[in-house]
Amino acid sequence: MARSSVDLLQGTLDLIVLKTLSWGPMHGFGIARWIQLTTEDVLQVEEGSLYPALYRMENRAWIKAQWALTENGRRAKYYKLTAIGKRQLVAESKSWEQVSSAIGKIMTATRQPA
Amino acid sequence: MPTLDDGERVPTWRRYLRFWRANPTGDVRDEVAFHIESAVEELVAAGMSREAARQMAKRKFGDVDGISETLQTLSQQRERDMTHAEWWDAIRNDVTFGLRQLRKSPVFTAIAVLTLALGIGATSAIFSVVYSVLLRPLPYAGADRILSFAQQNGPGSTWNLPFGNYGVWRSQATGFEALGATYGGPGTMTLTGVGDPAPIAATSASSEYWKAMFIPPVLGRYFTPEEDREGAPHVVVLSYALWQNRFGGDHNVLGRTLTLSGEVYTVIGVAPSAYLLYPPMEKLWLPLAPSSQRLADFSDHELTVYGRLKPGVPPATAVRQLTQIDTRLATEHPHSGYDGGVIATSLIDAVAGAQRSTLYMLLGAVGLVLLIACGNIANLLLARANVRRAEIAIRGALGATRGRIVAQLFVESLLLALGGGVVGLVVAIGAMRFLVSSPARIPRLQDATINGPVLAFALALSIVCAVVFGLVPAFRAARLDLQQTLRDGGRESRGAGRERLRKVLVVSELCVAQLLLIGAGLLIRSALLVQAVPVGFDTHDLLSIDISLPSAQYPERPRQEATLQQIESAIAAIPGVKSVGRTQVAPIHGFGWNWSAFREGSDGHDAGAASADMRAASLNYFSTLGLPLVRGRSFNTSDVANGPPVAIISRGLAMRLYGDADPIGRRIGNGGGKNPAWKEIVGVVADMHANGKLADPPLELYMPSTQYINGGQTFLVRGGLTVTTLLPAIRRAVGTVDPLLALSGIGTMDDDVEKKLAMSHFTTLLLTLLGATGLILAAVGVYGVIAYVVAQRTHELGVRMALGATQGGVKWLVVRQGLVLAVVGVTIGAGISLAAARLLSSMTFGITTHDPLTFGVVAAVLLSVAVLASYIPARRATRIDPLSALRGS
Repeated sequence: MARSSVDLLQGTLDLIVLKTLSWGPMHGFGIARWIQLTTEDVLQVEEGSLYPALYRMENRAWIKAQWALTENGRRAKYYKLTAIGKRQLVAESKSWEQVSSAIGKIMTATRQPA
Repeated sequence: MPTLDDGERVPTWRRYLRFWRANPTGDVRDEVAFHIESAVEELVAAGMSREAARQMAKRKFGDVDGISETLQTLSQQRERDMTHAEWWDAIRNDVTFGLRQLRKSPVFTAIAVLTLALGIGATSAIFSVVYSVLLRPLPYAGADRILSFAQQNGPGSTWNLPFGNYGVWRSQATGFEALGATYGGPGTMTLTGVGDPAPIAATSASSEYWKAMFIPPVLGRYFTPEEDREGAPHVVVLSYALWQNRFGGDHNVLGRTLTLSGEVYTVIGVAPSAYLLYPPMEKLWLPLAPSSQRLADFSDHELTVYGRLKPGVPPATAVRQLTQIDTRLATEHPHSGYDGGVIATSLIDAVAGAQRSTLYMLLGAVGLVLLIACGNIANLLLARANVRRAEIAIRGALGATRGRIVAQLFVESLLLALGGGVVGLVVAIGAMRFLVSSPARIPRLQDATINGPVLAFALALSIVCAVVFGLVPAFRAARLDLQQTLRDGGRESRGAGRERLRKVLVVSELCVAQLLLIGAGLLIRSALLVQAVPVGFDTHDLLSIDISLPSAQYPERPRQEATLQQIESAIAAIPGVKSVGRTQVAPIHGFGWNWSAFREGSDGHDAGAASADMRAASLNYFSTLGLPLVRGRSFNTSDVANGPPVAIISRGLAMRLYGDADPIGRRIGNGGGKNPAWKEIVGVVADMHANGKLADPPLELYMPSTQYINGGQTFLVRGGLTVTTLLPAIRRAVGTVDPLLALSGIGTMDDDVEKKLAMSHFTTLLLTLLGATGLILAAVGVYGVIAYVVAQRTHELGVRMALGATQGGVKWLVVRQGLVLAVVGVTIGAGISLAAARLLSSMTFGITTHDPLTFGVVAAVLLSVAVLASYIPARRATRIDPLSALRGS
């Protein structure tokens, strides 16, 4: 497993987690695994960043946590988007798209700066 | 994937379950463990050994302990925030809900808030007076170390210090940082050259007086020890009001020279207004500058002495030292009137000690009114709780704990109380204006305001009220049988306990109201008895005017007396003036000068001696006052300055010294010394209440003004019906003798007699107002309970009427209940009042505090009011339609 050299910005990790949870409630391990699978191992979220991010988002009431049983009958803490979190996701996706399209334009620019 | 319930609509109360949820530490540990376990399972499934998988998963996770700690911190922060948020949320919810409930019943809310406003407002107003007069720190630096000193003069009586004693204290007492003295002289001086000539009150103060009682001067400085010596240049300190009124607050007044009664003084300072205890007064201070002659005087008790103790010196030590000095002085100067004790009074007691018990009594009385008000509100709340049974039961069924319901109901009470407090401040401002405008001379009263301490008091009082009237009804309401109430459909059931509680409340209210009314009744009775006391002389149409001859212009006594006689004749010549007399200190205005009288053969300490008050009387003094001569003759023109010394004594003094024997022609001496100046008694006059109606008539001795000459005199002018209209003519008449003489202390004797009673009238009026308020509130309480009982018994009363009960019978049935409450209340109240009324013993006059008439009248009033208050619901009861009453149940 090669470590990604991509350094995730704080806000970016939040956006990714929010997007992940938009599919439904998920526990911390599941979130990490899902991101890894979806990005085909490009992004590996470190537990040392993921969990504090989850707790902070819970403190901001973007997500809420509840203990529930997994399919294997084990107790796990599930996270779920709140209404505030859904709004936050919309807002952050929008600004992400703007930033990435802006960066895209720079990368594909054909004119030399004046 | 398990589904989670949508938790966003959880009712508020459910959040409280969070208090018992798992702790954050455990949650974090479990979550991390789950993550690692899941990773291990994944690796094992991929074919790794469990042991290697565990190693790898842990390595992958990183610093387990460090991350866990971070998560715990975040988690705890969240808990804290949520607890606070929930707490505020709960309060906000309770307040919002409470306000909605109160808005739903505006009549109840208005009655409760207004009742409380009255109680809290009145109590706060009295408290503001108590604070201003008694509790507010004195303005002097280190005021707790300042003592006021006096000599004991027989049991319970003190007098001022002679100059001689003060001089020795100054040189020998060691416990003081400063030992200052003041005295009332020179009295009134005429200020000329600043506008019209004006009389200004002038007193003397030693340089150490300002050190003992120090407040920084507004301008300039106070006297130096050099200025406080005989023959020093004349300097003067102005009062703030004098500086403002006469000099427009001019800062250049320092160094300016003033002409006071013909002599020139230099202004060196302006004292702040806090030096005067009564409303802003124009006044000036001269240095005491005692002459060596005065410092050798050990018998004239003139000085008020204030000492500031050195830090760490206990008052008892200082008093012991001063007592030793005075005891020694008494052996060196016998017959100085020293009675073996020096009395030290803390400054606050010296200033306001006389008012303390009265003010605290009034504060207690107004507190009792507030208590009755609280009783009424508690009664209203109990009735309301009955109406709200269904609501409370439903909330209980939905899971609200009893604590939550009590909290909610208590918040409602608190809202009522705070509302009452806020409206009460308006009441307090009005009441305080009324109190401050009182003619009673209460020191420092004029500064009473609604300030920080008063606001804090009102707030605390509101909260206490909420507890008093709100807590018990809240607990009662929360103690419901849920099932029973819900099954009843929320209708009230027979709450026997509730009814009993309400009756206990009303009986208590009646007790308290009775206590107040007894207090008021005793004081009213006393006031009526005082009013009926004859002063002993004719106070109507009698004008008094103080005139003081400045010693600089009138140094010799014979010239003083001649001038005073001239003034007397000039006034007597005015058309409309019937008669003029004069004395050095008029009755009612002040005590006569102390004169230790004894008959011939007495050693001055036995039954043949008595402490008398001496007044110097002019020829027409007795006839002007209308004081009857009982025996012998009045003073006449043959009683000249160097003639045989004569005296006239009061009947009381004659009885004391001579019993039934005729005192005319006997000799009376002063002081009991070896060589007393004997005087021949030429007459006996009637006794009079010279010190006011509240005091017994003093033993008096009169000397002819020719034989006891004093430059300061009070002229007593008897005229027609409107004696004050003579004033301009009197001014002119005095002006013909000496245009620089100032007339001061102008007033009618009737007013002066009333002024002496102002404090007791003030107390009587307030206690009467409070008693009446208490009575009205208690009557409302009785009405409320009886009306409630009638509403409860509608069904029963309907049946009775259907079965043929008469209207009168039903009325009696209802009124009887009120009467029973009143009888119980009045009986218990009478017992309490008998004990508590003793507190008033120093304020009653001519009756004991167990005055049967007062007790009887108050009981009758309370019983009638209770019957009246029950009669209204009783009449309503007779209008019950039996059919609808039966159908309604």
